[in-house]
Amino acid sequence: MATMEFTEWIRGRTDEQLRALVSARPELITPVPAHLEGLASRAGSPSAIARVLDRLDRFTLAVVETLAVRTEPMTRSGLAGLLGRALTGAEPEPALSVALDRLRDLALVYGPDDGLDLAPGVRKALDDPAGLGPPAAEVFRHHPPEQLDEMADEIAPGTPGTGRERLAAALAEPGRLIAEVSDEARAALDQLAWGPPTGRVPNARREVRLGSARSPIEQLLARGLLAATGEESVALPREVGLHLRQGRVHRDLLPVPPALEGATRDPRLADATAAGQAFAFVRAVEELCERWSVEPPGVLRTGGLGVRDMKRTATELDLPDWAAALVVEVAHAAGLVAAGGGVDGEWLPTNGYDLWRVRATADRWVALARAWLHMDRVPGLVGERDERDRPLNALHTDLRRSSMPAVRAATLGVLASAPGLAPTRDSVLDRLAWERPRRRGPLREQLTEFALREAEQLGFTGLGVLSGHARALLAGDDAAAALAPLLPEPVDHVLLQADLTAVAPGPLTSGLNRWMTLAADVESKGTATVYRFSDGSIRRALDAGQGGDELLSMLERHSATPVPQALSYLVTDVARRHGRIRVGTASAYVRCDDPALLDQITADRRSAALRLRRLAPTVIASRTPRATLVDSLRAMGYAPVAESIDGDVIISQLDSRRVEALPAARVVSSANGLDPEVATAAVRALRAGDAAHLARREPVEAPGGSVPRGPATATISALQDAIRQGVRVWIGYLDSQGNATSRILEPARMEGGYLTAYDETRAAVHRFALHRITGVAGLS
Amino acid sequence: MSVNDGPLIVQSDKTLLLEVDHEKADECRKAIAPFAELERAPEHVHTYRVTPLALWNARAAGHDAEQVVDALISFSRYPVPHALLVDVAETMARYGRLKLEKDPVNGLVLTSTDRAVLEEVLRSKKIQPMLGERLTADSVIVHPSDRGNVKQALLKLGWPAEDLAGYVDGEHHPIELAENGWNLRPYQQEAADAFWHGGSGVVVLPCGAGKTIVGAAAMAHARATTLILVTNTVSAHQWKQELIKRTSLTEDEIGEYSGTKKEIRPVTIATYQVMTTRRKGVYSHLELFDARDWGLIVYDEVHLLPAPIFRMTADLQARRRVGLTATLVREDGREGDVFSLIGPKRYDAPWKEMENQGWIAPADCVEVRVTLSDEERLAYAMAESEERYRFCATTPSKTHVTEALVRRHLGEQVLVIGQYIDQLDELGEHLNAPVIKGETRVKERERLYQAFRDKEIQVLVVSKVANFSIDLPEAAVAIQVSGTFGSRQEEAQRLGRVLRPKADGGGARFYTVVSRDTVDQEFAAHRQRFLAEQGYAYQIIDADDVLGGV
Repeated sequence: MATMEFTEWIRGRTDEQLRALVSARPELITPVPAHLEGLASRAGSPSAIARVLDRLDRFTLAVVETLAVRTEPMTRSGLAGLLGRALTGAEPEPALSVALDRLRDLALVYGPDDGLDLAPGVRKALDDPAGLGPPAAEVFRHHPPEQLDEMADEIAPGTPGTGRERLAAALAEPGRLIAEVSDEARAALDQLAWGPPTGRVPNARREVRLGSARSPIEQLLARGLLAATGEESVALPREVGLHLRQGRVHRDLLPVPPALEGATRDPRLADATAAGQAFAFVRAVEELCERWSVEPPGVLRTGGLGVRDMKRTATELDLPDWAAALVVEVAHAAGLVAAGGGVDGEWLPTNGYDLWRVRATADRWVALARAWLHMDRVPGLVGERDERDRPLNALHTDLRRSSMPAVRAATLGVLASAPGLAPTRDSVLDRLAWERPRRRGPLREQLTEFALREAEQLGFTGLGVLSGHARALLAGDDAAAALAPLLPEPVDHVLLQADLTAVAPGPLTSGLNRWMTLAADVESKGTATVYRFSDGSIRRALDAGQGGDELLSMLERHSATPVPQALSYLVTDVARRHGRIRVGTASAYVRCDDPALLDQITADRRSAALRLRRLAPTVIASRTPRATLVDSLRAMGYAPVAESIDGDVIISQLDSRRVEALPAARVVSSANGLDPEVATAAVRALRAGDAAHLARREPVEAPGGSVPRGPATATISALQDAIRQGVRVWIGYLDSQGNATSRILEPARMEGGYLTAYDETRAAVHRFALHRITGVAGLS
Repeated sequence: MSVNDGPLIVQSDKTLLLEVDHEKADECRKAIAPFAELERAPEHVHTYRVTPLALWNARAAGHDAEQVVDALISFSRYPVPHALLVDVAETMARYGRLKLEKDPVNGLVLTSTDRAVLEEVLRSKKIQPMLGERLTADSVIVHPSDRGNVKQALLKLGWPAEDLAGYVDGEHHPIELAENGWNLRPYQQEAADAFWHGGSGVVVLPCGAGKTIVGAAAMAHARATTLILVTNTVSAHQWKQELIKRTSLTEDEIGEYSGTKKEIRPVTIATYQVMTTRRKGVYSHLELFDARDWGLIVYDEVHLLPAPIFRMTADLQARRRVGLTATLVREDGREGDVFSLIGPKRYDAPWKEMENQGWIAPADCVEVRVTLSDEERLAYAMAESEERYRFCATTPSKTHVTEALVRRHLGEQVLVIGQYIDQLDELGEHLNAPVIKGETRVKERERLYQAFRDKEIQVLVVSKVANFSIDLPEAAVAIQVSGTFGSRQEEAQRLGRVLRPKADGGGARFYTVVSRDTVDQEFAAHRQRFLAEQGYAYQIIDADDVLGGV
C-alpha cells in the first residue's frame, strides 16, 4: 500500500530533513500532529498538496507533472529522458538533481532513484497534469461495457481482454488510428494536443460506428481518440495526447529562471532617486495627516473614504489618484490615521502620528515601508469597480487581497536578484510566472504591476532598480542608516524675490515650513518649495495671530538676501489695513471685571514691554501674542487664564484633533517562512509522539474478533486507500446510542467528516461519521 | 553624495528652479533652455517649466530625450523624480511618429512609423475630413490646403506631426542688409539664423531689442518677396522706414496695404486690421495672400495675431513664416496655435540679460499708490461694478500725481500713457501737452512723434494706439495712468516704449499710478506679473512722497 510505504519513508527521514520539511510546509504542523503517521497523512491531504505545489517553480513542477503522467513509479534516467525532450538546447542536469532534492525535502517525491514515485494524493491533486487528459483506462471507465466491446471489435478486432482493456491497449499506440482520420479531425486533435485536453461537443454520448461516422468529431469518437466525459464534454485520452506531442510531456521548458531584461543603471543614481522619492512620500503622508487633522473627511456608512474626499485629497497632495490612494492606505496601515471622532465618524490622524512626526525622516520612511510590505490591502484597486459595479473606496475592507503581501515579497525578490538592473515589467512577470507557475493569472499580474508601481512611488526602487535602503529593509538590516545620508538636509532659509515669490531651496525645517505655509501660498512642491506672498496670504498670517512687524522680522531672519521693497511694502500695507478696522488681528486682550486690577496692571512698570493698551475700563488690548502675554502676566504674579474661542472672539485657530490608534494589525509570518526554533521543536514533538504511538500499536485484529480500533489518522488513510482501490473493509463503529458495532463496507467517498459506503451487513448505502469509526481492518 | 551642489532643483510638478548666483548657472541655463520655457526670471531663482510644447520644440531642434534627461540629472541638486523622467521620454517620443511629407506622386502625405498612432489619429472625427485616400498601412494623403489644420488638430491630440514637406521658395527678389554704420547685433544674427534653419518659427525678443532688424535679416536670408503683417498703420510706416534704412530695398519696392493704400509690391506691409475687415461676411482682402508668390511671411507682434489670421495662416503652410514678439504670453491662451501654425519658438532671450549686455536700457519700475479722497472713496463704493475700474483708474487724484511726476522729470522726454480718452484729454490740458488718440489722423500722429523725437515736444500724452511698435528712442520716462484691465502684455509693451538704449546711456523710468485699495490695485498687480517675472523689481511708493518731494 502506497500510503504505508510513504509513511515508512517519512519515518526514515533524518531529523534534519524533517525540520526542512516542516519549515518549508508550515501548514503540516499547524497544529502539530500526534505522530509521524499523522504527519504523513496530513502531507497527503489535497489542501496541503495544493499549497505546496503553488510554491514550486516551473521546472520543479514539470518534474512532478512528468511523474504524474505515468501511473507507475519511474527511474531517474527515464525521468531525465522525458524531461530532456522538452528542453531545447539545455540538459536536464544539474537542474533535475536540485529539483529532486527539493521535492524529496518537500515530501512530494519519495523512493529510490530507480523507483521514484509521487507522494500519495499528488496525482489526484493535479488534474490534467501538463495539460494531458486522463489515461484511456480511466476515461472509458464509465462507458457502458457493451459499447466498449463494440468499439474494441471495430478498431482492434481479435485482441483479448475486456472492451476497456482492448481499447486501452489499442490507444497505447494510436499512430495507426490517427492516420485514418480526415484532415479536419486531425486539426481538431492538434488543437487539443497541448491542452486544455477537453472540449465541448453537443450530444457527446451519441452512438457512433466507424461506418456511420460523418463529422470529424464522430470520426474521433468512433476510434476512441476522443472520449465523452459528460453529456456535452469530451476529453483527449492521455496516450493520444502524448503521441501527438511526440512523446514530450512539455512543449518547452527552461531548467533555470528566464533572465531578466532591462536597462542597467548607475546604482548610486538609482539610490539617490529612490531616496528622493522616499522623501517625497514621507512628506506626502505628513501633509495628508496635517490636512486631515484640520479638515477630516467623513467615514462612509459602509466604511472607507468617499470618492469625492479621495479626489479632493489627490488634488491637495498634487498626486495622481492612484498615488494619493497609496498615501492614504499606507498612512492607515502604519497606524497614522484611523476612523474616530463624531457620531458618523471621521478619518483622523492618530496620536501615533504625533510620535511618528517628530522622528527622523529615514525612520519615518522605514515605518511606512514596513507597513506597506505587510499590508493586505491593494490601494491600486481604488476607483475600480467591483462585481456589482460599485466603485471601490479607499480604506474600505473590500480592498483586501490576502495574497498581496506575498506578491510584494516575490516582486521585490525578483528585483533584488538583479542588482543595478531595472527589469522591464514583462520580464518581471515572466520571471514570476516561472517561479510560481500555478499562481499566475490576470489578477496576479495586476497585483504585480501594482507592486512595481508602488515600490517606485514609495522609494523602494529608483529608476526601476531596487535601492540600497530597500535591500537593507528586506534583509532586516538598518534601512534608516542606509537611507539617512541620501536624504536632503533641511534648510533654514528662503530666497525672497521682488515678484513676491520665495524659494526654499530644499526641505525647510519644520517650524519654518509651517510658518511659510501660513504666510504664503505654495506654488510648486517638490524637494524645494516655491511660495507666493499675496494680500490674502499675509492677511491669513495676521489672522492667525502674527503681527506685521513679526512677519517682517521673521522674513529678515530667514532670508538669505535682503527683503525686496515690494514685499515689505505689501506686508506693511496689508497690516495697515488690517489694524484699521480692528478685526481679527492677532492681538491678545486682558479682560477683567474689576477695573482697579487692570489699573494696577497698566501701572505696573514690568508691563511696559507688553505694549498694553486700555480699550475700555474692563479691557486691555496688547500687541504681545497671547501666549507671551499669559506667561508674562504670570511672571508678574497675576493669575490670568487664556480665554477659549468661546470667549469674546479674537483668535480663530482651528484645533488639531487626534484619535486613539488602533492596535497595529498582527503580521502573519507565513510570508517570511517559519522560525527555525519552531521547526526544531515540532520535529522533536513528532518523533516523541511517533515513538509512543509505535510502542502501543497492536496488530489489527482479524474479522470475527473484537471490534477493530486504531488512531483516527490511520483510519482515514486506510479508508482513502480502500476507496482508491475499490476494496471492502471491516470497520468498528459506535452507533448513535454509543454501542460498539462492526460493519463490512464498500467505501465510496469521504467528505465533510462522513464516509459514504455500501453497508453489506445492512445491504444499503449509509453515511458514517468519521469520528465514530473506531478502527479499520482489511478483508481478504 | 546624492545631494550634490548643482544649481538646478527639479520639482515633481515639472518646474525647474535655477539658482542664478550659482557658478554653474550659465552652463545649466544653456543646457536646459532648449527644452524648458523660462517662466519667471526674478533676481535669485529663475523658474523654467518643462511643457509638452517645449519638449517638442526641443525635438524639432534635434535634441533627444537622452540629452534632456542627462541635463536634468547632471545639474540637479537633488534626485530627479523618476516619474518626470519617464514623462519626458514619453512626451518626446510622441513627436515625429507622424510626419508630413511630400510625395512625388500623391502630393502631401501623412506617414507614420507607428501604425497604432496612425490608426488612433484616423479615428479622430476632427481629422478624418482633412485626409484623403489611405495609400498604404502607414501613409495617407492629406489635402494640401489642410496642411495647417491637420497640424493644429494633431497637436491637440498630442501627436504633433513633424512637417518635412518643405517650403516653396517663392518669387525671387534680391534683398541684402545694408550694414553701413551699424551692425547686426550677435543675438539678432543668432535669432535670424535660428529661424532660417528651423524653416519657420517664432523669435522672442524684448521690446526695444530690434525685432524689426531680425525681420530684415530673415528677409535677407530668404531673398524673396515678403509679406509683412503688422498691428497698425503707424507701425507699417516705421517698418517701411526701417527697411529702407537697413536693407538694400528702395521705397519703390515696398508697398503698403492698409485702409487708405492698397499697394502690392515685392515687399508688402499689411495691417491686421485690413486683413480682418469683412464685407458681407467675407474677408475681402484675402486675395493679398495669393497676390504674389510670397517667399516669406513676417508676423509682427505675433502674440496679438487675431483669430481670423490664424485661420488664413493655416492655408499658408508651404510658405516660410516668422513670428516676432516680446512675449509669447497670450491672454487668450492660444500658444498652441502659434506653435502649430507659425512654428516652434526658435529664439528666446531673457530681458534682463539683454539689459546686462546694454542692448536695452535699464529701467526702474515704480508703482505710485494714490490714496482716494473721502468723497472719491464713497463714490467708488457706490459705483456699478462694471464702472468701478474706470472710476478708480481715472480719479482726479491721479492727475495731481501725474503732474508732480512730470515736474520731477522736467527736461526729460516723458510719455503719459492711458486708456480713457477723457482722462487723457484732461491730462493734456493740465500738462499743456498734445494728445494722440484713435481719432488723431496718421499725418498728425507722425508729426507729433517726429517733434517728440526732435525734442521739440517734451511731454506727449498717448492712448493705447501707441502701445506697439512706436519707435521713440529718446523717451526716458513713461507714466501709465490707466490700462486695459489686467493685461500683462500691454504692461510689457508700454515698458518697451522706453527701453531703447539712450544716447547718454542713462536708464529709463516707468511709473504706474494706481489707486490704493481698489480694483485698480488688483489689476496693476496682475499686469506687473510678466515683468516682475522677467526680473523687473517694482518699487512701490506713496503718492505723498511724490507730492511732497517737489
